Amino acid sequence: MRVLILALASGVAFAADRPLSFNRDIRPILSDKCFACHGFDAKHREADLRLDTAEGAYAKTDGVQAIVPSDLAKSEAWLRIIATDKDEVMPPPKSHKTLTAAEKATIKRWIEQGAKYQKHWAFEAAVKMAGKHSIDSFIAGRLKDEGLAMSPEADRETLIRRVSFALTGLPPTIREVDDFLGDEGAGAYERMVDRHLASPRFGEEMTRHWLDVARYADTHGLHLDNERQMWAYRDWVVRAFNDNLPFDQFTTWQLAGDLLPNPTRDQLIATGFNRCNVTTSEGGAIAEEFVYRYAVERTATTVETWMGLTAGCAVCHDHKFDPLTTKEFYSLYSFFYSAADPGMDGNIDTTAPFLDVPRASQQAALEKAARREADALKQLDALAANTTYADPAEAQSPLARQTVRDVIFDDVWPIGGDAKNTSRNATDWTSGGHSSRRAVRQRNSFYHEDSITGMLAPVTVPAQAQFEVWVRLDAHDPAKALALALDTIGGRKRAWWGETVADTPLGALPAKEKRGPLPKPGAWARLAFSADDLGLQEGQRITGFDLQEAGGIVWWDAFSVTGESDPATDTLTSFSAWWKAAAKKDATELPAELRKVFAAGPLPDAVPDQVAGLHAFYLARIARPVNADLAKQRDAWMRAQADKEAADTAIVGTFVFRDLDQPRDSFVMVRGQYDKPGDKVEPATPAIFPALKKAKPDARATRLDLANWFISPEHPTAARVTVNRLWQQFFGTGLVKTSNDFGSQGEMPSHPELLDWLAVNFREGGWDVKALVRLMITSATFRQSSVVSADAQKRDPENRLYARGPRFRLDAEQLRDNALFVSGLINLEMGGRGALIYQPPNIWEPVGFGNSNTRYYLQDHGPALYRRSLYTFFKRTAPSPFMSNFDAPNREQSCARRERSNTPLQALQLMNDVQHFEAARAFAEQVVLKGGSTSAERIAYAYRNVLARPPTTEEVAIVQQTFEHHLARYTKDTAAAKKVIGNGESTPRADLPAPEVAAWTLVANLILNLDETVTRN
Amino acid sequence: MDPLFEHQLLQTRRQFFGQSGLRLGGVALASMLGERALAASARVHPPLPGFPHFAPKAKSIIYLHMNGGPSQLDMWDYKPQLAAQFDKDLPDSVRQGQRITGMTSDQARFPVAPSMFKFAQHGRCGRWVSELLPHTAQIVDDIALVKTVHTNAINHDPACTFVMTGSEVPGKPSIGSWLAYGLGSESNDLPAFVVLTPTFPAASQAQALFTRMWSNGFLPGKFAGVALRSGGDPVLYIQNPAGVEASDRRTMLDALGKLNARGFEKFGDPEIQTRIAQYEMAFRMQRSVPELTDLGSESPATLEMYGPDVNRPGSFTQSALLARRLIERGTRVVQILHRGWDQHNNLPKLLRGQIEETDQATAALVKDLKQRGLLDSTLVVWGGEFGRTVYSQGKLTADNYGRDHHPRNFCMWMAGGGIKGGVSYGETDDFSYSPIENPVHLNDFNATILHCLGIDHERFSFKFQGLDQRLTGVEKQRVIKPVLA
Repeated sequence: MRVLILALASGVAFAADRPLSFNRDIRPILSDKCFACHGFDAKHREADLRLDTAEGAYAKTDGVQAIVPSDLAKSEAWLRIIATDKDEVMPPPKSHKTLTAAEKATIKRWIEQGAKYQKHWAFEAAVKMAGKHSIDSFIAGRLKDEGLAMSPEADRETLIRRVSFALTGLPPTIREVDDFLGDEGAGAYERMVDRHLASPRFGEEMTRHWLDVARYADTHGLHLDNERQMWAYRDWVVRAFNDNLPFDQFTTWQLAGDLLPNPTRDQLIATGFNRCNVTTSEGGAIAEEFVYRYAVERTATTVETWMGLTAGCAVCHDHKFDPLTTKEFYSLYSFFYSAADPGMDGNIDTTAPFLDVPRASQQAALEKAARREADALKQLDALAANTTYADPAEAQSPLARQTVRDVIFDDVWPIGGDAKNTSRNATDWTSGGHSSRRAVRQRNSFYHEDSITGMLAPVTVPAQAQFEVWVRLDAHDPAKALALALDTIGGRKRAWWGETVADTPLGALPAKEKRGPLPKPGAWARLAFSADDLGLQEGQRITGFDLQEAGGIVWWDAFSVTGESDPATDTLTSFSAWWKAAAKKDATELPAELRKVFAAGPLPDAVPDQVAGLHAFYLARIARPVNADLAKQRDAWMRAQADKEAADTAIVGTFVFRDLDQPRDSFVMVRGQYDKPGDKVEPATPAIFPALKKAKPDARATRLDLANWFISPEHPTAARVTVNRLWQQFFGTGLVKTSNDFGSQGEMPSHPELLDWLAVNFREGGWDVKALVRLMITSATFRQSSVVSADAQKRDPENRLYARGPRFRLDAEQLRDNALFVSGLINLEMGGRGALIYQPPNIWEPVGFGNSNTRYYLQDHGPALYRRSLYTFFKRTAPSPFMSNFDAPNREQSCARRERSNTPLQALQLMNDVQHFEAARAFAEQVVLKGGSTSAERIAYAYRNVLARPPTTEEVAIVQQTFEHHLARYTKDTAAAKKVIGNGESTPRADLPAPEVAAWTLVANLILNLDETVTRN
Repeated sequence: MDPLFEHQLLQTRRQFFGQSGLRLGGVALASMLGERALAASARVHPPLPGFPHFAPKAKSIIYLHMNGGPSQLDMWDYKPQLAAQFDKDLPDSVRQGQRITGMTSDQARFPVAPSMFKFAQHGRCGRWVSELLPHTAQIVDDIALVKTVHTNAINHDPACTFVMTGSEVPGKPSIGSWLAYGLGSESNDLPAFVVLTPTFPAASQAQALFTRMWSNGFLPGKFAGVALRSGGDPVLYIQNPAGVEASDRRTMLDALGKLNARGFEKFGDPEIQTRIAQYEMAFRMQRSVPELTDLGSESPATLEMYGPDVNRPGSFTQSALLARRLIERGTRVVQILHRGWDQHNNLPKLLRGQIEETDQATAALVKDLKQRGLLDSTLVVWGGEFGRTVYSQGKLTADNYGRDHHPRNFCMWMAGGGIKGGVSYGETDDFSYSPIENPVHLNDFNATILHCLGIDHERFSFKFQGLDQRLTGVEKQRVIKPVLA
């Protein structure tokens, strides 16, 4: 078997009498054993000999010729290969490379046959073969050459499950199976395939694979690994596949959507492909270095995705194996080096360039709310301008104190206040506040603080001041400590509630500042304290405040103060008191012409017109309304403001790619060092490929030129790489197994003619992805039974010849989705921010930086737990185990091919993970409710749901015996039964007996763990 | 799965199935498949063919990584003459324009901050050790200290990635994964590569860890480090759900084994046999992991040697003891990644806190291995991702200072299998700023680790992205011979 694997290393075993082909038989050997010293890389070339071209190999140096066609005795290379002297022999011992006997024999035969060279296959244009062909004619033809034949078609139950997983990532329902079984007309299979292609789940399944290539994730990936808003890109990919956007446009939009004429929003969102890379904002990191690294990464990812070449080597030196010089690499890199995004991402979720992506209704709502707010403000200003006002500070005799109630914040932050918080992102306003529209949410089981500074309307502490604020603690993850600190001229004052939380900034709070216990979670509650509690004096000015929590989630709303104030000194009644107290120098809320006079303070030489303007501003927006009309209008404006902000916050955005206005000059970076520029380069493509056609021949080449070059008919790799990735997706292994490497170190295609035929068809057919997928899925090759005989398994363990149908383990996402789907728990809502599903404790926490906003995992609850895996939150530095345990990449770099491992940790997860076990319980309930009355019927129902087929009599017997065993045990121990059905957050049905459901839960757990279940058969 | 191992399994199974014709009862079948067949055929974690390359001195490794950049100046690199330089500017001739991080590049001056800690000589080798390390000072005769390790990266994220994977750019396998891949493991009931991430002092603003520090990179997923966790399940999903006992699981697994065996009869896919074996391994782990983490069998003397923290779940101390228990049970690689060693300011107090959590247990681990005869076959490595600057970050006073990142030289040590104790290798200049003798690149250091475990780093590669990828990179690296026994 070992021998066979080696033989397959360069494709598949070939019959011995086939004529040798340089690309198929010789290049892999030379590339692996010789090219490092005798290849493309001139700098490391030994003895000035290159063996990768005929010119090099046939060249005569000092009368010696490395390879003389058909003449072994005169071929120096051959003599060196068979030499026994260790100073003579090639490859030399110090290279740790040796040629096997079989490799030597092949080289010998090749020289004897005339030592014919070929350009590397992947750099030659794909050739359209004459005549009529199909996938099956190529596969069957090759099998015939090998003396093999295709397997019979799989049974219909196997087929529909295979198609359903391949196209939607989910199993078929019993009804779908029955429909297919009952369709006796010709074309039943094609009709079934078409139904799956039309499902919205199709785009989701296709997207899953693309996101690995695009290295999509919900966090930045380096250092703090904070959250980013990127999901609009993911959701666009789903739409693109569902709408069957032709792949040429799919390419152009992602690489250069911003450069298309009048780009649509989707075209801009698509450019997020090259914003999906990891970024940093680590303190001390050098921005220029990371600008450079991002460009290198984007170049390498683009080259790998559309050219199937691994360009990384050429960052430092000429590629040793493929014709890509360092200069050519940096010429490609210069297409990306002028990106407008910063080297430091700022640890925020909206790193520019950032595009808001409102839904149409949201955009309309925002525009309407903005108009209303502007109108309300205009009316308010007009009303204030016509209101007479006398400053109480200038009153002849002192005025009486008045009872006041001032809102410090409610639905909007106080005017002029600068809002910052520990997540670094915008304030997390959520709808459904205590008082009206919305409230401030704080979520971080460590510590969260919202801090407001520089209020333009400082609040003057009244006599007998009583403060109140409304809070709601989350029912699942209540905050453990809350604190509210006031910034006053004269120091910071604090009140807190709950218990201190060790190791957080609320870990050591003075007992005397404690104002009581926390209210009951899940409901709005009022927290109150007095000026005396805080040691505040009447007349002190409050210029800002902090809301703080530790240990969980809390909402804050409606912070206000009541008391008795002296109108002459109250900043909200006395214009002059306000003007004096306001220390803000850059009050952008003020009209431009008033800012200077305001900042200067009340001076005798102030221009009266400007003072009048300030007066009006004060009455409109700062002062406690001086009459009922103003009060009403102020209130209307505040509400309109909250509405506008709410409409704005509802709109999410996404990272997009754009260039700087002035492109950066690009240079070859010596040995890949960001601070060692060498020769200057211009955007250009490698010489071995067809020439780049520029839209404007005299101008600098653009990313759009590059994208158009990839999809041009002459380009040899883009279509091949793409059809190969799709082949891999459906058949388990690509026609080129190294789907990310079509270079000379990659493997040769197992079926080169088929690959070319598919590629040309794909391109000429308008890059129609669904048509290509349909072509593959409806082939007889795909429809074969995957049953394998011991002999066939031995002959072709990886099924590279396709003498049987594909059979392999489901991917990480499919495993989770399958359990959720058959149990009925699944939530098929599409799109949006990643859901925080079940995750064991201590996945994020032990690794996350203290300051990161993704250090603490605060799980969602309710329907969000059952979202499809595609829509779950992906943190790169600590991916969820349901993904990483089953070979999902960590999305730190592009990944074109996942491994398929088979480990005990996977077994543990599928048996014990709450999401799988809860699904087993929910599935058990379905089995009891809908599966018939006898246990045999129920077992059959379970099997058909999960495997699309009924169980055999023997299987029923085994499962039944197990069920009875479990039933007896849980009937005896109902407490244990209740525990079994109590796993997970969804509520078990009360109308079913616990022991019975518990026993069926273990049966469901068994069936969901079957090899056949976790496999696409 | 390794093709050879797969082949062996297949052969064994095929004989078994062929002879028995699958007529055996479920329990017998499951237990035969799960244990006897495995024991008869192969190890669960077999080495690669041809590995180790030569007879190894060390069979296993415990790697203690102090994450954040421990200060070589305050622990190991004794510079008595620096006292006279207190608060003087670092001479330009020393710095030679080397790059420094953005955190101190704006400082008006770079005042020299000598260590405020006393050093004394210890052991037969007379090693100078800081007073902060009273326990580690007792094992200096077992330690080979390397004073001139240097790295390419100057900030945490790339430097942590570099020290563990040999590359600053994410995506390469960690050293532990490389070792698990090449050498497999002796244990059939526990993972080959186990990672512990203990708690750290609350006062520290702890730099992050990254799962890529123990991930498999481009190697197959089964070589990723398995986290042995202090909170929740010690190994993910090791516990049965509430209401499910081991006997219930056994019942379920017996049926699963029978049904999957029929699946193999039907499909003939050897992956099915592997899956059967992995479910049985999972079941064994459900027993072996709790046994591993139960410290009840440890003697009071042993517990006392590790220190009072040994009973605190998740402490470095308990992790150190668990490391020994893992090695005893045949695990190949154990890594402990302790956080909080990033003292940009307030270094004297904070570094003391870090060392108080780790010093006694580190020394106890080496002593414990030694008294059990395991030190000869276990390589113990101690280090960080870089060192710290001689100049103070922020304000310098007689008893307080901070230090910035310093990649140009820092200290790491090795002890145990293959290592000559009592050796010190490499010298730095008077300011512990640059190596003046025998610089050791991290890749050299890693090559030395591989050597102790019987691997020639130049012949240890994996083909990925068209290259023969190596832990030690493409440049020429060398094994540090003088530290070898």
